[in-house]
Formats: sequence, structure tokens, C-alpha cells
Amino acid sequence: MTAASTGWGSRIALAVTLALAGLTAWSPAGTAGEVTDMLGRRLRIPDRAARIVSLAPSITETVYVLGDGERLVGVTDYCDYPPEATRKPRVGGISTPSFEAILSLRPDLVVATSESNYAEHVERLTSLGLPVYVIRPVDFETTLESIERVGEVLGRAAAARARVVAMRRDADAIARAVAGAPRPRVLYVVWPNPLIAPGRGTLITELIERAGGESVTRAEPLPYPRLSLETVVERRPDRIIVGRHGQATVEELLRGWERLGSISAAREGRVYGVDGDLVHRPGPRMIEALRALARVIHPERVP
Amino acid sequence: MAGTMPPVFAARDVEFGYGGAFRLAGASFDVAAGEILGLVGPNSSGKTTLLRLLSKVHVPDRGEIRFRGTPIGAVGRLALAREVAVVPQEEQLAFSVSVEELVLMGRYPRGRGRLFEAAEDLARARDAMTLAGVLDLGDQPVDALAGGERQRALLARALAQEPGVLLLDEPTSHLDLLHQRHLVGLLRRLNQERGMTVVFVSHDLNLAGELADRLLLLSGGRVVRLGTPHEVLDEAVLEQAYGCPVWVERLAPSGRPVVLGVRL
Amino acid sequence: MISRRRVGVASAVVAGGLAVAGLLGLATGPAPISPGDVVAALVGQARSDLAATVVLELRLPRVLLAALAGGGLAVAGAAFQALTRNPLADPAVLGVAGGAALGAVLGHLGGLGGSFAATLGISAAAFAGALVAATAVYLIATAGGSLPVQTLLLAGVITGLFFSAVITLVVSLVDFAQLGGILHWLMGSLGVVGYRGVAVVAAGTLVGTALVYAQARALNLLALGEESALQLGVEAERVKRVVFVAASLLTGVIVAQTGPIGFVGLIVPHGVRLVVGADNRLLLPVVAGAGATFLVLADTLARLVVQPAELPVGVVTAFCGAPFFVYLLRTRLRRRLV
Repeated sequence: MTAASTGWGSRIALAVTLALAGLTAWSPAGTAGEVTDMLGRRLRIPDRAARIVSLAPSITETVYVLGDGERLVGVTDYCDYPPEATRKPRVGGISTPSFEAILSLRPDLVVATSESNYAEHVERLTSLGLPVYVIRPVDFETTLESIERVGEVLGRAAAARARVVAMRRDADAIARAVAGAPRPRVLYVVWPNPLIAPGRGTLITELIERAGGESVTRAEPLPYPRLSLETVVERRPDRIIVGRHGQATVEELLRGWERLGSISAAREGRVYGVDGDLVHRPGPRMIEALRALARVIHPERVP
Repeated sequence: MAGTMPPVFAARDVEFGYGGAFRLAGASFDVAAGEILGLVGPNSSGKTTLLRLLSKVHVPDRGEIRFRGTPIGAVGRLALAREVAVVPQEEQLAFSVSVEELVLMGRYPRGRGRLFEAAEDLARARDAMTLAGVLDLGDQPVDALAGGERQRALLARALAQEPGVLLLDEPTSHLDLLHQRHLVGLLRRLNQERGMTVVFVSHDLNLAGELADRLLLLSGGRVVRLGTPHEVLDEAVLEQAYGCPVWVERLAPSGRPVVLGVRL
Repeated sequence: MISRRRVGVASAVVAGGLAVAGLLGLATGPAPISPGDVVAALVGQARSDLAATVVLELRLPRVLLAALAGGGLAVAGAAFQALTRNPLADPAVLGVAGGAALGAVLGHLGGLGGSFAATLGISAAAFAGALVAATAVYLIATAGGSLPVQTLLLAGVITGLFFSAVITLVVSLVDFAQLGGILHWLMGSLGVVGYRGVAVVAAGTLVGTALVYAQARALNLLALGEESALQLGVEAERVKRVVFVAASLLTGVIVAQTGPIGFVGLIVPHGVRLVVGADNRLLLPVVAGAGATFLVLADTLARLVVQPAELPVGVVTAFCGAPFFVYLLRTRLRRRLV
């Protein structure tokens, strides 16, 4: 019963994904100045936007990596990479942007992501007359597409495509390096307490697979489910990888887990930390995240 | 005259109970227009319940109460409040109000549909306060008053309704002897000068006998006796109601009965 | 005696205070716009596009929403206090706001979208949730026959906890992306709502307040206790039903747009009662004006403290309200015990 419904669920999800992919792929490019974003919203943007507000760290990183950092006039409180981004005017948090702060920067383009920003905020900014371009990076492919899309909107399509080609090449190299090796069972910890792990269809789950591991939470129906420690014990992960933010050590983050002696990963010290900002941001540093994961999962094959 | 006018209240086989216990078990009696009726009887004999039934707070489970010939259920609440006013024994106020505000509330049934009182309402309220002797307490908060003053303020509110019938629950319980005398005098005057019908509950058998034209003696939710004070304040009758021997003397020359107390 | 004239004068005074608070709210924000430019924009003579958009499209609807929500919640609080004869009652304490929040969350998930119909639908769902919660509290509290203070508060706390548990359940079962702004909205915020939301709140608040005010004198009599009210000619059941529904309507339409904002409905009526007395005919208009002023000021503060980010306005009201609530509880209980 459960297996059957899960099967149907995944089939429906696949169908929806395909349909969405089809829609976005086939949408016409539009007339000059008119574009369609990744949610299928049509909007008019200036030929060469000069005053851009970014509403998420991954977007800020993308703009900088394309060499257009000087066109950003506003970023969120969480945009800390590259370091010069922290010197840009702030417009508030990802989920608590100040509309007034955004407006007073007089942007000619706002870029948002459906994965972190609220639909209500996008709607409100649009109703205030601002062109808001929304990207939708949910997995590996859509993250690459998001970079290309941002490149197109910035008038940097060629640079973005080159970047994406390079990223694919690096990802393929890692895939070749880990090919044929046994696939260790990996528990990735997005947040330790309460325990939140990546579920089905998320970028993190896909990165773990591409790094030669098998995520023990890859079949969870919710993207970021909250799990019990019991589930972790029962799934017997070979490796535990913790996304770290800031200064906390892995030991601090997993305090209390040492008594879970039955998990071989915990018992034998196969618990690793990776930079959470790297892994959790669907942006141009995704390949670095992939490499960091592969180094932990297959240290013998990925230096 | 009494033959042509229907009684103010006519109760027939009224039964009422709540909390699993009978408060009234088949009471039948009339209250004639212009009479003073005293409700007496031991604790939880059904006196206060009866007042609530007469003021339509409760509805009888069985039997019927008529008000001036009409079943009381068919009399609108506002119409009834213009005719019948109640002086409760005590009232727990949720918020602080002044005596004047309290008495003005008695004008509610008279000011139908109006959100605010008119000048006339204030005049009627002042009259009522004068009658009850609380005019100079007008600005005082009710919860700061002594028990007797509060009882008189509640009387003033009832009088502000300009009722034809006054129901009082233990009106003298907080009054000293002087104020008891004032109240009795006032009720008599209202009865004689305005033809006001008065129904009151009292524990004080002598005061009840002094004030009332007739007494209704209740016990265990049943009517033990309805009659003149002479008939009701009788040692045998009272013993039946209270369940203990009672000492009653008759004062010469009128023969007025006085309850001296329990025979020990 | 409370006269129309006295009510009119008092209303004019609080309206003046509200106007001052509103101007303060309109003149405050991260965008550098001088008070003169704010006034110019208000009268349609904006000196720049930025000033026009910021003042007319961002600050004005926000100040209007704060005023309507503050006034409406305070009136709802005063109404619940009169109904329950208990000065500690308010939509949040009684769990009614929790019911409205659950209704709104379900409405959001059911028919998310930007249409006017969706705004109305979510408000209707929140109203229904508020009614369910209010009825539940009432049934729990009167199960024993009477309505003592402690039982009522306990029933409210139970209902509130239950509804917030259901909200947590819904939130943890649903995909994060689908939740959208709900998580932020649940903390109470006035920021995202445009004129469409303001219009819905204005309509609901006006109707709800008018319904409550029409019963103002009857509510005064209910404060004497139900028995005395009945004997004075008040159709107590009908009055209670009307006010019950009206207060739930106020709570529902407001919570649907702003999320739960606590303490306004509690501290404003109580503070105002200390000044103007308990007569609802005078109390309710002053409470409406004072509640509106309070929330406009609280929201101005919420926008100011951590610029350009914003505090949820409920944080500000809670910081003012929680200590006041404890004070009320202590004095009230002391009086009861002595």
C-alpha cells in the first residue's frame, strides 16, 4: 500500500517536473525587453539593467561570478560571498525584506528565487511596479539553468553558458572518478536539532548521488523532512555529513549523538563537516560543494 | 373589583428543577393585583426560584404561569420588564459603575431602541433615587458601598423601571432596624398610593407578617400554606414547614401573631 | 450620564491622537523622504516617483492596516471582556485568534493565489476558524454551568494550544515551498498587505464594530450578570450571540491579513476602562481609537528598530503587553482572594 502510493507519488512528481520543464523550455523568448522567468511569469526588463537588487545569496554569487558585481545596488543580510558583497547596501533578510529599502535603491531589476523568497513578497514587489525575475533552482539541472537565465537577463548569456559548460565538465570528472566504487550510505544533516535531512528531488540529495554516495533519506517524500534520531539509527549510515554554518564544530552540532554507538559511522568516527553555505546554496559554487562531498565520501578517489 | 381583573400572576402546578434536584414541585397560587405577598419558608424551599420563574429568568418544566391573564412565555422580555421589576439580594458587578449609572440601567426597558438615555430618563432615575434614599450617593461606585446602601441602590434601579409589580429577594437582609422601617414604609406607600403589587422573599417571619397581606409558606418546593399572616404564622403550620417546634405568641388585643423562636 | 455629545467629544480626541500617530508612521522608514515630501505625496503633489510610491503604496496602506487592525482587535477584546464579564479575556487569550490563524492557514493552502476572491476566501476561512474556537471555548468553560474566571482562561489556553498544535501539524506536513509566507505571517506582520487587503479588513472591521456598538447598552447590563440583565429586559442570549459573532468576525478578517497579533485586545480596553469607565457606549469608540493608535505606533517602532529589516509587530505589542498582563492577573487575583 505504502510502496504503491509512494510509487505513484514519484510518478506524478516526475510527470509534473517533465511538464514544467517542457513549459519553460518551449516558452517563447518574447519581444525585445520582454522575458519569461522560470515560473513562467512574463515581465519587461531593461536592455541592460544597471541597478539590480538580489534577494538571495545564490543570486548574488551568480551575478558576481559573471563579473557584474558592480551592477548590484542591494543584497540581503545573508549575502556574504564573495566578501565584497557584504559592502553592498542591505535590503533586509531573505524572508523579511524591506520593500521600502528596495524601492529607495531605485532598482531597474529585482532577481528572486522561488526556493527562498516568498511568493507574496514577489507579488507585492511586482505590484509596486518593479520587474521581478524569479529563478527556480531545485536540483542540479535547474541550478545550471538558473545561472544561464541570470546570464541572459544580465546580457551575459555567453559568459554564463561558458560557466555552465565548465561546471558540467567538472561534475563529469568527479562522476568518472567515483564510478564503479561501492556507494557508501550517507546521512546528510541540513540541521542537527531538530534533525532535518534532504529528501527526494532536492539538490543536496542529487549532489550526494553524483559524489558517489547513497543518501539514506533520498526517498523521503517531503523535500526537507524533520526526522527522528531513531530513523537515523535504523537506516545505518556509513557516513554522516553535517552542513556547518559559522563557527560551531561538528562535535558541538552533534552533541548527544555519541551515545548512538550502534551507528557505525558515529562509532568509527566517520562524521564529517562541510561548509553548509556551499552545499545549501544552489549557485555557481555548486561544483565546489560536489567536490567537498566527494572528498568525504570517496577520499581515496577524489583528492 | 378583584373579580373582573385577572390576577397579576397565576401559577398552576408549576414544576421546576435543575442540577438534578427539584426546586419547585407543583406550586399553584395567585398573586392578586395590588396585594403585598410575602414568600417565606426554610432554606432552599424554593423562594428565590419562584421569583426567577415570575420574572421569566427560568421557564417552568411543567405547569403554567400567567401574567395578567397571558401565559408568561408569550410576554416579551422588554414588556415584562416595564411591568415587573426585581430587586435582587445581591449582584456581582463585572466592572465598576456608579450608583447613578446603575439606576439609569433601570431605564433600559423604557428607552426601547435608544442607545442613549434622554433627559426624561435621568429625571425618572433621580426620582427613584430620591425615593430609595440614595440621591446623594449618585457618583459613588457601587462596589464601594456598604451592603445596605447597595441594596437601596438596587431598589432605586427597580423603581426607575416604573413597574406595576415589584419582586424583592430578601430586601432587608443588609438593613439595620431604621432602614428596615424606612423600606417597609416605602413599600406600603407604593402599594397604597400607586397600587403597586409587591412580592417579597424574607427570612424574617415577623417582618413578613407585619408587611404582607398574605404569606405563601413554602417547604421542599411545595406550598405548605397560603393565607393571611394569622393563618400561616401558626405553631402547627410552621412546625410542618420547618420541621421543628416553633413558639408563637398572639399579641392582645389584635391577636397579631409574633414568632418568638424555636422551642428548645 | 453618557450623552451622545460626550461620546462625540471623546471620539474626536482619540481621532486626533490617531492622526498624529498616523503622520508619524507615514514619515518613518528606511527611504529618506522628508516630512514635507510625505505631505506633498499625500495630497497628490509628490515631488518624486519614489516618494509617491513609498508613501502611497507602502506606508499608507500599512498605516491604514495597522489602524484598522489595532482598532478592530481592541474592540473585539472589549467585546469578549463584556461577554465573559472578565477583564482578562481577549481574542488571543481565549484562543479565538488561534482558530482564526488555523482557518487562514488552511485557506492559504487551499486556494493560494493573488486574486481578490482568494483574499475574501482566506478571510472567510479565518472567520470560520474564529467562530469554531470561540464556540469551543464557550462550551468548555460553561460545561460546569457557570463561567468562573479561571475556567474560562484555562479553556482559552487549551483551545489556543490545540489550534497552534494543529497549525504546527499542518506546517510540518506541507512542503516548505508551498508554505510561502505563512511562517512569517504566523509571527504577525503588517508589511505585505496592499489596498486589496486593507479594503477587506476595513469592511469587516466596520461591520463588526457597528454590530458590537449597537449592543453597547445591552452589554452594560450584561455586566450585572445574566439574571439581572434578563430581568431588565435584555434578550441576553441574542445579544451574546450577535456580539460573539461580531467579535469573531473582527478577529477573523484581521488575523487573515496580519497574522496573530497579541495583547492589543487585552491591554487597550483595560487601560481605557481605567480612564473613561466601563460604559461601553463611551468605552468602545475610545478603545477603537486607542487600539488603532497603539498598533500604528507599535508598527512604526517595529520598522525602526532593526532597519532595514523589520521586527514582527507582535514582538513589540508583546513587549508592552506581557508585563501589563501579569500586573492585571496579580491585582485581579488578589482582589478575588481577599
